[in-house]
Amino acid sequence: MPVFRGLKRLLTPRTYVQLKRWEFLGTAVLNLLVFSFIFVYLFPTLYMLSASFMETAQLRDRNAPPYPARQVRYDYDGKERLVYQVPFGDEVRELALVNPGRTSSEFIDPDNPAAGLITWDGSWRTLVGVYRFHATLDNFATILESLRIGEMVQNTAVMALISGIGVVVSSIIVAYGFARFPLPGGNLLFYVMIATLLIPENITLIPTYFLFVRVLDWNGTWLPILLPFFFGNAVYIFLLRQNFKSIPKELEEAALIDGAGPLRTLFSVVLPQSWPVIITVTRLHFFYIWNETRQASLYLAIRRDLSPISFGIQNYQSLGPVQNQLQASALIVMAVPVIILLISQRYFMRGVLVTGIEK
Amino acid sequence: MFKRLSYTRASTSKAVGLLLISPWLIGFLLFKFLPIVASLGLSFTDFYMLAPEETQFVGLANYIDAFQNSPIGLFVVITLSAIISTVPLQLGASILFAALLNSSRLKLPVFTRTLFFIPSIIPGVAILFMWFGFIDPNTGWLNRFILEPLGLLGVENAFTDSTFALLAIISSLWSIGPGILIILGAMQGMSKEIIEAARVDGAGPMVRFFGITLPVISPAIFFTLIINLIGVFGGVILLDRSSTFSGNSSPFGNLISYWMFDEWELGFAASLAWIFFVLVLLVIVFLFRTSRRWVFYPDQGGA
Repeated sequence: MPVFRGLKRLLTPRTYVQLKRWEFLGTAVLNLLVFSFIFVYLFPTLYMLSASFMETAQLRDRNAPPYPARQVRYDYDGKERLVYQVPFGDEVRELALVNPGRTSSEFIDPDNPAAGLITWDGSWRTLVGVYRFHATLDNFATILESLRIGEMVQNTAVMALISGIGVVVSSIIVAYGFARFPLPGGNLLFYVMIATLLIPENITLIPTYFLFVRVLDWNGTWLPILLPFFFGNAVYIFLLRQNFKSIPKELEEAALIDGAGPLRTLFSVVLPQSWPVIITVTRLHFFYIWNETRQASLYLAIRRDLSPISFGIQNYQSLGPVQNQLQASALIVMAVPVIILLISQRYFMRGVLVTGIEK
Repeated sequence: MFKRLSYTRASTSKAVGLLLISPWLIGFLLFKFLPIVASLGLSFTDFYMLAPEETQFVGLANYIDAFQNSPIGLFVVITLSAIISTVPLQLGASILFAALLNSSRLKLPVFTRTLFFIPSIIPGVAILFMWFGFIDPNTGWLNRFILEPLGLLGVENAFTDSTFALLAIISSLWSIGPGILIILGAMQGMSKEIIEAARVDGAGPMVRFFGITLPVISPAIFFTLIINLIGVFGGVILLDRSSTFSGNSSPFGNLISYWMFDEWELGFAASLAWIFFVLVLLVIVFLFRTSRRWVFYPDQGGA
């Protein structure tokens, strides 16, 4: 710690060593604290990860280990027998169950089958199975059979591409207007734009839903979901504007003097300096479309073949899958955003941080 | 000279500026302003989705109906209690995590930050599935690894009011990623001199944190508060995970959706939406008013 560095000369060696010890202890406690917070905070995701790779038999066994595993089997007399931990006094032996009974059962020792059947008194249902790590991909295979994941991913990609081009281009142009040009009413329009974020969705939904579904007959199309993006998005405009304002004006002015119009200046001078924030906005928008279920449930319920991924996976529940399949579907739908975040962690963090600067 | 040519010829640049922001302006008029006005108009009618041609003006009947016959007071209370049960928790957790992440002693700072951020980008569907799997009485982990080891009574049924309430709280705690980053950004942007000066003056870590750090980052806390609040109202800022577990993330939103999509009574739904809108405005105006007392803006020189 830099705090103590200057102290070294002032303190006796012994005190200095003591201080260093406390410093080490503090660091250890802090890191332990942070990582245990993370463990608790992400605990349900561990369940999901683990259950996705489990077989249904393990899921139903309350004594099974929390990680994906399979009960050890032993082939005896032409049949597969499950291996249990069988207590004999102080000793616990791993034996395969041959003849289950209510009050006493017969087992065989896989290490020594020649010894013949061993009788154990007690209910075999109370025994704990012997498990070895085993991850299965069956759940994912089942999902791929019952859901058209490819079609959903394709829908998501097309929707993200169309609306992404619309929203990114329009937001860039609008943000440039807000960042660099005087507007009637000064900053009023900008504040109005920020205020629109506070408007609850329901209040605008009532007339627009009627317009889209009954007047324009757009039910069962992507139009009502994608069209509004071509008019920019307040959050993206805000992020882009903050970024444009932080770029020095001189180059733009030179370009304007040279006779370039505002749009030309924007695309040839401003944009090349703004890739990080544009990537951030694009990624936010991709997450939005990837997670989209609300609008889809309004307009795409009658055309399931047009579902984007989240909405499609949401409908999987109605097929009544077992819990481990459901968890695997959750893993499929969250994998892409998480991977994108992990790949681009530094960029992403910086992009969101921009928002905190003003306001 | 350059400036005069390009930026200060007010009349033309104003026109150019207006032209540049026109996509947003048109979108605002089409998808925000007109619908809100239309909602207000509809709220005074008995507009029925399936028979729009028979619409009649009914005056304040919808509003009177809403206050007399439907449990609107209850929904206001539920909405406010949703705010009280989630927003302070979110803020507290954001500040705590940001303070921990801000420590120079933390190993792997970028990675830990990312881990705290991950839940905030998990799609709503995945959270829904994960949660109900996690609390499943037979196969989940909540009973097995948390409640029973603590000697508590396990959950018997996954679909009760209390599990949904818990889900709302968990899911709100799982959306604080942007808030953590905003507060962390503010903490990292603080000038080291103030803290150093306080340390020299003998202020302990607690005094430094509550007496200096918190006031200095109060604008970021306020911004985070507003983001969280809008989340409770069912709105979206920064990251949209599309909440799916109740169709809508706010109880009031559910009431409105019920009258819209189950009863098709758009006129009545519009009056409810306007009542909700006014409620949201009141809460936000209240917050902005009180914010003057506790949000510290350095350039204004007051605390």
